[in-house]
Amino acid sequence: MPEGAADLDRLEAEARAALAAARDVQALVEARARCLGRKGSISTLLRGLGALPPDERARAGEAVNAVRDRLEAFADARRTELEQESVSRDLERGRIDVTLPGVPSHAGRLHAVTRAERDICTFFASLGFSVEEGPEVELERYNFDALNIPDDHPARDSHDTFYVRPGVVLRTHTSPVQIRTMTGRTPPFRFIAPGRVYRHDASPRHSPMFSQVEGFLVDERATFADLKGVLYAFARHLLGPATRLRFRASFFPFTEPSAELDFGCVLCEGRGCATCSRTGWIEWGGCGMIHPKVLENCGIDPERWQGFAFGMGMERAAMMRHNVPQIRLLYEPDVRLLEQL
Amino acid sequence: MRVSLCWLAEWIDLPAPASEIAERLTASGLEVEGVECLGPDLSGVRVGLVLEREKHPNADRLSLCRVDAGDGAAVDVVCGAPNVAAGQKIAFAPAGTKLPDGRVLERSKIRGVVSNGMICSARELGLGDEAGGILVLDSAATVGAALSEVIPSGDSVLEVAVPSNRGDCASILGVAREVHALFGGEIRIPPVAATAAAPPPLPRIAIEDPEGCNLYVGRIVEGVRIGPSPDWVVARLETAGLRSINNVVDVTNLVLLEFGQPLHAFDLSKLRGETITVRSAHEGEAIETLDGVTRKLAPEDLVIADADAAIAIAGVMGGAGSQVGEATTNVLVESAHFAPGRIRRTARRLGISSEASYRFERGVDPDGVARAADRAARLLEEIAGGCSVGGAIITQGAPREAVPPISLDPDRVNRLLGTSLAPSEVASLLARVGVASSRTPDGSLRCEIPSHRSDLRRYQDLVEEVVRIHGCDRVPTTLPLVRLAAVETPPLRVLADRSRDAFVAAGFFEAVCLSFLCSADLDRLDLAADDPRRRTVVLSNPISEEHACLRSTLVASLLRAARENLAHRVDRVRLFEVSRVFFDEGPAALPREPLRAAALVCRAERTNLWESSKPPPIYFEARGVAERVLRELGHVASLRPGSGEPFLHPGASAEIRLAGLRVGSVGEIHPEVARRFSIDRPCAIVDLDLETLAGRMAAPAQYREVSQQPPVRRDLALLVARRVAAGDLLEAISKAGGRDLVSVDLFDRYEGPGVPDDEVSLAFRLVFQRLERAFTDAEITKQVERIVSMLGHRFGAELRSAPGGGA
Repeated sequence: MPEGAADLDRLEAEARAALAAARDVQALVEARARCLGRKGSISTLLRGLGALPPDERARAGEAVNAVRDRLEAFADARRTELEQESVSRDLERGRIDVTLPGVPSHAGRLHAVTRAERDICTFFASLGFSVEEGPEVELERYNFDALNIPDDHPARDSHDTFYVRPGVVLRTHTSPVQIRTMTGRTPPFRFIAPGRVYRHDASPRHSPMFSQVEGFLVDERATFADLKGVLYAFARHLLGPATRLRFRASFFPFTEPSAELDFGCVLCEGRGCATCSRTGWIEWGGCGMIHPKVLENCGIDPERWQGFAFGMGMERAAMMRHNVPQIRLLYEPDVRLLEQL
Repeated sequence: MRVSLCWLAEWIDLPAPASEIAERLTASGLEVEGVECLGPDLSGVRVGLVLEREKHPNADRLSLCRVDAGDGAAVDVVCGAPNVAAGQKIAFAPAGTKLPDGRVLERSKIRGVVSNGMICSARELGLGDEAGGILVLDSAATVGAALSEVIPSGDSVLEVAVPSNRGDCASILGVAREVHALFGGEIRIPPVAATAAAPPPLPRIAIEDPEGCNLYVGRIVEGVRIGPSPDWVVARLETAGLRSINNVVDVTNLVLLEFGQPLHAFDLSKLRGETITVRSAHEGEAIETLDGVTRKLAPEDLVIADADAAIAIAGVMGGAGSQVGEATTNVLVESAHFAPGRIRRTARRLGISSEASYRFERGVDPDGVARAADRAARLLEEIAGGCSVGGAIITQGAPREAVPPISLDPDRVNRLLGTSLAPSEVASLLARVGVASSRTPDGSLRCEIPSHRSDLRRYQDLVEEVVRIHGCDRVPTTLPLVRLAAVETPPLRVLADRSRDAFVAAGFFEAVCLSFLCSADLDRLDLAADDPRRRTVVLSNPISEEHACLRSTLVASLLRAARENLAHRVDRVRLFEVSRVFFDEGPAALPREPLRAAALVCRAERTNLWESSKPPPIYFEARGVAERVLRELGHVASLRPGSGEPFLHPGASAEIRLAGLRVGSVGEIHPEVARRFSIDRPCAIVDLDLETLAGRMAAPAQYREVSQQPPVRRDLALLVARRVAAGDLLEAISKAGGRDLVSVDLFDRYEGPGVPDDEVSLAFRLVFQRLERAFTDAEITKQVERIVSMLGHRFGAELRSAPGGGA
């Protein structure tokens, strides 16, 4: 059937052209329906085979089916092609200048001193120290007298005290919390007392308000060696495992024996730099065994109980960590600074 | 106290270089805050040995030396001096050394040969004018040693911080004693005038206030010639930071520095009557002091008086009337022991801190009083040409209480320190600070306290002496053995921390502002006269007017912060603070210190450069933050229009209520207040009273079953009068919807064309869902109709179109 064969070839060529011409999946589906669908040209042709003699019918059927299989394979391939093109087009449409700045995600942040305070509280909680607080406007009696700093003692001079009225001061240290906490309690106990303190000092290297943390432990056998152990553990938690400490004998009316505590400058590793005034050491705080008079003032028998106390500025670690040259910068609500630290 | 090492060396052989002495003193409690070198700075210059000397290959007058400077390897040095020779010990400055003239030596080529430093002449080292040749050192000098250890290159001054209980250390003698305690060595006391002679008959000395003065020693020196002091005296005083006045006054100051005993010299001819009296000041008495100021005295002040009037404020400052001057020939030297508390109170009340009062306050050695007078008499003879007349006139006040020996159990030392010192070690450490001890049958030490250590009163004080001489660093480092105990944190602290976290999560930076307040800020905030925040805690000695009182509100601090940030062109400020504020509670109580949280948001008109439309009023940003923070704390707050705060915009602020209690406010800053704080852009605040919030701690969130049924959505567009608050509509819908209404949101608000002038179109989205089964259309329609009719009834709301919606 030469004509039939030629027809079939033409039909196949036309169908292929139509399928190939489809520019998207929708057009392809339509073109496919036109040739391969139930009412499409191939189906029509197949239905028309019924009129042929049986021997031709089989042969022609085979030929048409072969054409249909080829066209279907072609349509499938074309479909895959078109789908890939479509994905590529979508990707191309979605192309952006990735070097444009990101949409700012405005995170906030805790103040560096708050973070230091939390760190400190967490550390001491791990050693079983509870947190206590006391008023910032304090009785002179608690801030000084009960801590064995009587009115006519020169040790008061170093405190640069803000007065509210006679007998009432802004606390110059967190030590009065010792008095408030220990009075009426029976040892053993251990506490820390973080909080704001005030000194009448407006020089640029100081701030009239700063933050201290007080810690104290009283039981029947706490020793100066234990005090050193606790402070070493604390310093190494806060400043790193290689931190060195220096205990210098000193005088505080509320501890006996007393020591000043320095840590090895983290910036120069003890070689001496501007931050540590070339000494290799940074003054951190004071500590010692709680003075028997202080225990007595709190109603605790110093012959039975003994303990240690320490107090230090909370800003030091933050200043070291962030290389902040002056403490007062920490208390400036300047967004440009807060964003850095 | 500034201590010259040359001076100190006359009292005790210096056992170590200045830096080591400073270090040991510091470690043992006498903090050396600095070491000042008075001579040329020779650090870096070392003792070197000339191993070989050859002629320089390219220059006739130069030598090429190989120098051993103690580094192990010898170096080549070019030298121009004619006297350099092999085998000499010389002063070698390696490359990199800074010479006293400021020059920094560099490694350089001299006529083609590299020189690694310099062999110095005395002149190059600032040690003299000899420039003709190098400085040749003693052949015994150790190679590699610092030059300053080999030749005295000038004096060093230790700046010693004297602890407030160690008045005895405010003297050369005191520092020498500390050096002795740390390093050993003999203390040499300088010579004093003869003491054996009988006292002169006049003047008599009467102590009328024996509690204030328990010892008064006078010495008469006649025939002094007032004039300048010899150079060595002037230099000594200068190293200590004192100015030379004249030879007589200088002697009193010199002895004060030597022994720590303040002295005073009176011009004997200016004293009236025959008796010097130590008494309390009379009511209304006044005296002109040496500094030319007339000071009113109080009866608790102790004075030295002649027959007519006070001639000195005891222990604080002398009087102008009896002052030693050009014409003085006969002087009375006073050396006394006054009650430290009395001196301190007087000095403080009069605002005087003199070298004398400083030492008396801290306690002087009662046994050193007479010796200091004798020493002064001796010096007046030596340098002012005077002549002591008789011995000391000694008058006793209240008998001094004998310092009882302290009993110290060596076990107690170890129990306090955590050490294991033998009793003999404890005794020998105490002996080094002059505390003699003997063992008693019960094993404890009976410790005799020297007169200059009035600070040693309890056995714990002795333990401190033991540890400070032994060395804190030699105490073991252990961790305490303790009984476990549950850790507690005050609940308010927990709340403070949670609110901080909530603000941070909302994108705010935490500020910590000073607690001070400028009282004018309360006016700037328009606070009424009877506003509780007017009851501030006022400081009696503020740093400045700006810091006159403690803040009663965080808002002023935040507004100031906003102003500062805007001035720095920061155009997006989101700050919060959680802090105490302070309210005066009258003279009988301490102030109240409740905890507050406040946040401020301030920004440019548009929040984003890309944004095409204006963002909603900034009030809504602040409100969103308030709602979010409260939600984080477990509360659902309701807001009522109008905060009542004078500093907030009356039409753009609300009060935050929780179960009928006011817990704060939120709102835009009143434009007038914003102007006063120079804030020129939208700005709003949230102010929360954490104290009140703490009273109603939220219960923990409770589990609710999540529905598997499809939610049904209905949108309602309503026309209402503009005066109707959207919040009221939301609340009413929510209430009417009951359990089945899982959410209601306002998603559109429109006024303008198509809507009557005094009305507004509000579009709400209602979502219904329940656990058991899906809603039928009819059920939802019924519910919505009920709500719409309620809204129409209560608020006059009118449906704009049929409710739309879907699943």
